[in-house]
Amino acid sequence: MTESDDFSLPLAAPPPPPPVPHWPARVQPMPLVEHEFEFSGRGDEYFRIWIVNLALTILSLGIFSAWAKVRTERYFYGNTKLVGVPFEYLAKPLPILLGRIIAVVLFSAYVLAGQFSIGLQLGLALLVAVLAPWLLVRGLMFRARYSSWRGLSFRFVPDYGESYIRFFVLFLPLLASFGLLYPWVKGKQKEFIVDHHRYGTQVFRFLARPGQFYPPYLIAWSVIFAWMFGGAMLFGFGVALLSAGSTSPPPQWIIWAFVVAIYAGYFVVLAFLAAAIANLVYNSTEVGGRRFQSRLKGGRLLWIYASNTVLILVSAGLLIPWAMVRLAQYRASCLSLLARDDFNGIEVRQGQGIDAIAAEVDGLFDIDIGL
Amino acid sequence: MTSLAARYFDGQSSRVHDVAVELLDNRTLRLRGAGIERDEPLEHLRVSPRLARIARTIELADGARLLLDDHPLIDQWFPLHNPLQRWVDRLERHAHAVAASIVVCVLSGAVLFYWGVPWMSDRIAAQLPEQVETRLGEEVLAQLDRFAGLAPSSLDMERQSGLLERFAALKADMPGAENHRLLFRNAAGIGPNALALPGGTVIITDQLVSLVNDDREIDAVLAHELGHQQQHHALRQTLRSSFVIVIAAMFAGDVSSASAVVVAVPTFLLQGHYSREFESEADAFALRTLAERGISPAWFAQAMRTLEAFVSDQGESDDSPGYLSSHPQTRERIDEAEFAGEKFAIEHPELYRERPDYDACAEDGICEDAESEEMDSDEVYECVDDDCERVEPDASLELQ
Ligand SMILES: [Zn+2]
Repeated sequence: MTESDDFSLPLAAPPPPPPVPHWPARVQPMPLVEHEFEFSGRGDEYFRIWIVNLALTILSLGIFSAWAKVRTERYFYGNTKLVGVPFEYLAKPLPILLGRIIAVVLFSAYVLAGQFSIGLQLGLALLVAVLAPWLLVRGLMFRARYSSWRGLSFRFVPDYGESYIRFFVLFLPLLASFGLLYPWVKGKQKEFIVDHHRYGTQVFRFLARPGQFYPPYLIAWSVIFAWMFGGAMLFGFGVALLSAGSTSPPPQWIIWAFVVAIYAGYFVVLAFLAAAIANLVYNSTEVGGRRFQSRLKGGRLLWIYASNTVLILVSAGLLIPWAMVRLAQYRASCLSLLARDDFNGIEVRQGQGIDAIAAEVDGLFDIDIGL
Repeated sequence: MTSLAARYFDGQSSRVHDVAVELLDNRTLRLRGAGIERDEPLEHLRVSPRLARIARTIELADGARLLLDDHPLIDQWFPLHNPLQRWVDRLERHAHAVAASIVVCVLSGAVLFYWGVPWMSDRIAAQLPEQVETRLGEEVLAQLDRFAGLAPSSLDMERQSGLLERFAALKADMPGAENHRLLFRNAAGIGPNALALPGGTVIITDQLVSLVNDDREIDAVLAHELGHQQQHHALRQTLRSSFVIVIAAMFAGDVSSASAVVVAVPTFLLQGHYSREFESEADAFALRTLAERGISPAWFAQAMRTLEAFVSDQGESDDSPGYLSSHPQTRERIDEAEFAGEKFAIEHPELYRERPDYDACAEDGICEDAESEEMDSDEVYECVDDDCERVEPDASLELQ
C-alpha cells in the first residue's frame, strides 16, 4: 500500500456523504464505523533490510534484486493493517526478476538510442507507448492478484480495449486541446483503474466524475503561472537594477536564483497537487458500499517530500529507508475506511476458487514490468 | 507441547476464525478453534519467510491460510523451508552483517561512479562505429545552431583561411585527424569560447578570435580542443552522463516520491568530476602538441590569462559564461602551462622568439623606440640537467 500512486488522489471537494444502503426494514442498520489504516514499520528496522538486500543485490550483480523487491513489499504490506489484520504481498521473486530484466534492457536501449539517433529513440518510445496500455493492465493484474487481506486476494479485471481508449486514444483530444483536457483524461484513467478492481465479491467503484479533477489542476496551474509570471517580473526588475548604466550582461547568480525559485515553486505546487489528487481519488472510491476517507495535507506532504530529499542528498542515499517509512506512515495515518459491517461476510467470487485464480496466471506474461 | 494462537482464513470468505495451532507427532499440524478442526501433514504446508516483525503465514493445500505472530517455533516446524531467505533474515538481524553491507554499498557506489561508469563508457565508445560519432556530432551542431544562438561567422575570408592553415598545421600527422575540421561561429550569447563536438568538429567563436592578442594563443586553444577530439572526449562524456542518469533513476525509482533533485544533483556533481579529468587530459595533450610544433606551451598560459582578464572585466568571478566556466581551476592550469613553457625554453633555446615574453628589443635589439624594459620574473627555476624545479620565492608564506 506504499505505492498508492495507482490510486493517488488529492484534496479538492469534501467527500460526498456515503450512500445509505437499503437495509431490510426489520434489521437495525449497523452504525457506520471508521476503521483507520495503521502502519507499524520503523526506519531503523527497514534500514537493516534495505541495506542488506542492496548489498546482496550488488554482490549478485542485480539478480537478487527480485528477492529484495519481494522482501521490501512484504515489509510495507505486512506493516500496514486494517482492523488489526495486515495486508500480504504474495508474489514470488522469479517472475519479478524476468520483468526487471526486460525493463532494464528496454530503458537502457531507450537512453542509449537517444544519444545516437533520434529516429531510433522515437521508434522505441513509440513501441513502448503502443504497448503501454497493455503493460499497464498486466501490471495492475499482477499487483492485485498478489495483494491479499484476510485470506482473499484482490483482482484486477482486464479490459484491454478500454485500457487502449483511456491510456492511448485519449491522448489525441488531449493534444488537440493543448493539454486543457489533461484533468479530465486523468480522471477517466483513475476511474478505469478503480472500477476494475475487485476484492472477493466486492466491486470497487469510482464515484467522482472526471470533471472533478479540474479544480485541483486549475488551482495548481494558476499558482504555477502566477509564480512564474511574478518571478519573471522580479527577474527583469533585478536585472535592470543591477545592470543600470552598464552594458555588461547580468550577473550569473541572478539567472540561477531565477531558475531555483521557479523549480522550488514547482515542487511546492506538486506536493499540494499530489495531496489533492490522492484525497480526491480515495474519497471517491467505494468498495461494496464502504467508503475510503483520505485526509492528506499538502503542507505536511511538502514538508515530508522536501526534508526527505535533503536527508537523502546529505546522506548519499543512506537515509532512503527512513524517507520511505516516513512517507508510508503519513499516508496510512491519513487513510481510513468507513464501513457498517465487520468484514466477515465477504466471499470469494462465485465459481472462482484458488484453481481458477491460478488458471489466469498465463505463464510467460505473468511478470511484473516496472516501467 | 506449546500451542500458538493464530487467525484462520478458509480462502473462501473473509471471516476470521481464532484457532490454536500445535505440532502433533512432528509430522502433523493440528488446528483447533470454534468450528475448525483440521490436522494437516507438514509436507502439504508452505510457510512465508521470516521478515522483521511482520506476521507469518502458513498456507494450507486447499488455499486456506493461517496468520500468526512471528515465533521461533514456526521455523522449527519447517526447518527446510526458504533456506535462502532464512539466511538473508539472519543477516538483516546481525549488526556485523549490516555494517558490512554499508561498507559494500558505499564502496560499490564509489567504485561504480569513479571507475565502473568511465570504464563501461570507454569500452562502448571504442566499439562504436565512426559514423555513430559523426552523426551525433551533426545532431549536436544542428541543435547548437538552432538553440544556442550560434550565427554564421562575421570574420572575413582572409582571417578564416589564415586560422584554417594554423589548424591544419597543428593537426598535421596526428593519427586519425584527417577529418577533423574547424568551424567559425558568431556567438554573442556564449562569448569567447571553443567547443569540441563528437566526430572531429571544432568550433571557435568570433568573440574568442577577436579577443586574443596573438594567433599563437589561438593555436593553444585549438590544440586543447584537438586533444578532446583525439581522445573522443565528447562521445565518452555523453556515454558517462547517460549511465549516471540510468543508475540514479534506478535508485530514485525505489523512492517513489523523491523529487528529480535526487537524480539531478549527483549527475551534476559527477559530470563535473568527469569533465575535469578530460580537461587535464586535453591540457596535457595541448602542451605536448605545442612543444612538438615549435610553439612555446607558455602560450597556453597566455591564452588562459587573456580569457581570465576578459572575465574579470565582465565584473564577475568564475561562474560567468564562456570558456573558463567550462574549464575550471584556471590557476593550476596556468601554472602547468608556465612550467611546460619554461621546460620548452630550456630544451629549445634556439626558439626563444616563440615565447610569449619574448622581448624583441631586449633580446634581439629590434627596438621600435628607445625605451627598453627590463624583464621581471618573480619565478626562479633551478635546473639540474634536464630536471627543472620551480622555486616559489614566497613558498614559505603560502604554506602558512
Ligand atoms: Zn576543454
